[in-house]
This record gives sequence, structure tokens and C-alpha cells, in this order.
Amino acid sequence: MSAERAIACAPAPDESAAEERAWAVVQSAYRARPATSPRGRARRRLVLAPLVFAAAVALALSPAGAAVRRVVDRALGVPHAARALFSLPSPGTLLTSGADGTWTVDASGTKRRLGPWRQAAWSPHGLYLAVAGPDELAAVDPRGQVRWALSRPQVSDPAWYPANGYRVAYLSGHTLRVVAGDGTGDRRLASAVAGVAPSWRPDHPYDLAYVTASGRLVIRDADTGRRLWSVGGAWVTRLAWSADGRELLAAGRGQLTVYRGDGTVVTTVRSPARAPIVDAALAPDGRSLALVRGGSGEDVLVEAVTRSAIPRRVLSGQGLETVLWSPDGRWLLVSWPAADQWVFVRASGRPGIDGVSHIAEQFAVSRAHMPQLEGWCCTAQGTAG
Amino acid sequence: MVSATELVATAGENAAAPVAVSRPTLRRMPSERALIRGALAGSEADLEALFRRHWPRAYRAAYLIVHDHAAAEDIAQEAFLAAVRRLDRFDRRRPFAPWLGTIVVNRAIDWARARTARRESGEPLQDTVGAEPPAAGYSREVLAALAELSPEHRAVVVLRYVLEYTPGEIADALELPRGTVNSRLRRGLDVLERTLRERELR
Repeated sequence: MSAERAIACAPAPDESAAEERAWAVVQSAYRARPATSPRGRARRRLVLAPLVFAAAVALALSPAGAAVRRVVDRALGVPHAARALFSLPSPGTLLTSGADGTWTVDASGTKRRLGPWRQAAWSPHGLYLAVAGPDELAAVDPRGQVRWALSRPQVSDPAWYPANGYRVAYLSGHTLRVVAGDGTGDRRLASAVAGVAPSWRPDHPYDLAYVTASGRLVIRDADTGRRLWSVGGAWVTRLAWSADGRELLAAGRGQLTVYRGDGTVVTTVRSPARAPIVDAALAPDGRSLALVRGGSGEDVLVEAVTRSAIPRRVLSGQGLETVLWSPDGRWLLVSWPAADQWVFVRASGRPGIDGVSHIAEQFAVSRAHMPQLEGWCCTAQGTAG
Repeated sequence: MVSATELVATAGENAAAPVAVSRPTLRRMPSERALIRGALAGSEADLEALFRRHWPRAYRAAYLIVHDHAAAEDIAQEAFLAAVRRLDRFDRRRPFAPWLGTIVVNRAIDWARARTARRESGEPLQDTVGAEPPAAGYSREVLAALAELSPEHRAVVVLRYVLEYTPGEIADALELPRGTVNSRLRRGLDVLERTLRERELR
């Protein structure tokens, strides 16, 4: 038999079953497409125009234009938002968790439910996920198949060691525990810790940052148990190392501090009580910071980490919640539960905003339980954002 | 390229009639352009016909490049989802299959390269990947021979003999010089032929 014939016409494994599964997904995406008829588009413009016009008039005539704009923002979110998440603007796969479990969303918009997990975290190259159930820690593949599982009480905040995935840290109640990437060797690292997700330091195996119940921010070698440094950290609610492991972001409602790897301070940003920090995320390259500030007007700011750069406001609206960077650092994803939207914002260069509406419906949950954004992984080189 | 028009013979409506003999009716299958037009106008049936027509080759092409049936399913599925998203921008003067095939092959190459990079980094749990189903129509020797080629070489062979691109179309799809396409085809066939010859001699 010739080589050409050998490969030309034979069916591939599981071809028919794969066809039926794929058709179900394609059919679903086709049904969710917005109406594309010119008449449909024109009708939508007519519906929106009076509201936009009224808002513009109000802004021109009234000194309370800002208040009107907030009302408009609250009512509409981002105008002309897509009705469904058809694609991501950047390569990678999103991870979300919520009342209906854990989902992934890949760059083409395909959603996959992994299981009834409450929290999840990517492995370094996106091949696996660490997931937390009420009393269980597990590792699953991107199709939701469980690879290993541990029964522990009140599991939360799993975190894989970056680069090699050989360690997973997690909270079990008020205890910090570490297990090997293959599920073996589970042990306690620290007792009496605060409910702040631990964060591994990239390129420094196996340094781990966490917050104690007594209010100390601690960096510890997870294998030897040696404390490397600690500072006062009772105000800290979120920890994140930069992708190169050189800087640690510690954020709380009234303050955000970036530390160097030895504990010295790079910069501190203080927020007044009327504009608390709701969320913060370091860009993959560690040079920029995205902040969500709360209060009467919520903004998403993109700032350079060093003090000298002027913060740039990239999105504004009531009820913005969490922010993620894309793995390539070019986009931000902001969740906006009040508008039932996710908003993709270009972080640099030419301004751009893409909104996606009906998020709760797409994940089969109520608007009160919009899925939490857990992560956005990975670039083609396999590094997580 | 496979012609977009096929002729199908079907039995007449009165096949159960005791006396009358129904003459077979020849039904012309809708053209690709008509299916795309129908899908754009909201016909799910037309979209399904387009999907069914092109799925087998898309899936087989992805499988032969990545050698992973789950990944091949994702890749082929993604290509169709991209097609659904871009249908209104698709130039109907062009054939659909090469456009779809380019998406499949480029994504398959990306996936295969990323897998190689992950293997080199020593990601744990690799040995617990689920078992592949039986390889259906492909012999183990053919798959092993293809595995000897790089993803880029495999892609050229698959585009030529599964998706039936001309060498010029392959050069356009993969943005390669024509000479490179010809040499990769030659090398790919040499490896396959040598492997099959060795099998026959056993």
C-alpha cells in the first residue's frame, strides 16, 4: 500500500462520537449568536439612542452630570456588549468558580464545567488544576477527570508552585498545608494562619508567602520550614508574587505595598476610606499594577509599580469587582456583577473595551452568584498570567 | 479538491406501493456557498450540513498531527467555532474547506509544539494521561512513522493527502516557500514509505 493511501482515507479514533460532541458545542454557539440581520442591528441602535441622548443632555445641562453618568453606567454596563462570550481577546484559558462549580473558558469561548468545586487554581502550564471542595483537595485535568484527591476539612485557596508544579499549598481551616504535585507527602506547614490565599515565589523553590492569624506577613521555605522574613501584615487580604519572583504584592482595603524579595519596600499606595482597594493584580512582567478601587465611583486603574508613573484610569463604573491580567499582559479582565458583565480592557497602547453581558446566564447561575474569576492561563510558552 | 456538488439517489415516496415502481430521484446536494448563505440567514440545518461535510477531514487532520484524540477533538471543534464566529466575514467566492483546514492545521501545530515544550520542562503527572482508544483505520506503523516527523512536516503531509491541498495552497496556508513545501512533502513520504516497506517485509 502506498504511503499516500495509508493516511488518506482512514477514520481517526473516536471520530463519530467526537463529531456528535463537537456538533452539540457548535450548535450551542450558533444559537447564542446575536441577530446579524441589518434590521436587527438598526432596531438595537434605536432602542439605545434615546437613553444615550438623554444622558448626554443631562450631562450638558446639569452640574450633577457625574451622578447621571453613574446611573447610566449602572443601568447599562458597557454599551453594545456581546451577548455571549464568543472568544477571548488574548490567548489562554480562563478559570472561574462559583455556585455552580468550576468552569474553564478557552480562547474560542468554549466553556467546560470541571465539576462542583468551589475554588480552583491552574498548574504552571495549564495541564492540571488544583480544586477545592468543602472537605477535599483534588487535582483534575482540564476535562475534569480527578487525578488524585485528599480529604481535609474546610479546604480553600489551593496554589501550585509555578514553573514545575511540584508543590501545592492550601488552607485547611486555619492551617497552612503543603502537598507534592502528585498528591503525596501532605503535611502541615503552619498553624493559626489567616484566611488569605498563600502565594509561591517563582524561581525560588519553595518560598511561600502567607499571613498569620496574629497579623504577620511571613515568607517561609516550605521544605525546610525556615522563616526567611516577616513584617506586620494584619491589613493584608491578598498576596501575589510577580512572575519573575522579584516582587511581592500585598494588598488590603486601605493600603497596597510592593516588597522586594528580601522584604524591603518598593512602593506603598494608600487608599482613603471612601475609596478602598477592592482588588489588585500585578502584570505578568511585574511592571504594572491593576487596581480596583471601591466607594462612590469605582475605577480600574492601571499604574506602573514605581512611584513616578501617573496612574491611568481604564474603566469606571459602580460595582466593579475583580481584575485579572491576560497571560501576555496586554489585556485586563474585570468582573462587573452589578451589570452582569465581564469587561475586557486593553491595558496598553490603543484604548479598547469589549464587554460581554449575560454572564450569570451563561454559567447557569443567578446574578447574585456570578462566577468568580480565578485565573487566566497560559501563553504559548506555557506561562500563566 | 473534492467537488462541492454530489449526486445522491433516493427511493421515491411510494416505495411501499404494491404495483407502481418508483423511479429514483436524483437530488443535488446544496453547494457550499448555499449552505453558508443558509447558515447566515439562520438555518441551523444548513450549518449542520456544512459541519457534517467537513468534520471528518478536519478531525483526521488534527489527529494525524497531534496524535491525541482528545486534543484533536478540541482543535477541530475550535476551528468550527471560529468558522461560526466569522461566517459573516467569510468570502464566499473562496472554498470553505481550505479556510477551515488552515485553522485546524495551524492550531494543531501550535498544540504539538506546546506539548513538546511542556515535556521538556518536566511537568508532573504526565504518565497518568488517559489511554488512547484504538487507532481505528491507522496502523501503528503509519502513526509511528508520522511521529518521527516534526509537527511542521506532519502538517504538510496531512494537508496534501488528507485535506487534498495543492502544494501552492499548502505554501499559502503555512506561509512557506514553495520549495520548502516540496522538500517537506518528499521527506515525509520517504519516511512513510520506508516504514511501510519494512512492515511488508516482516
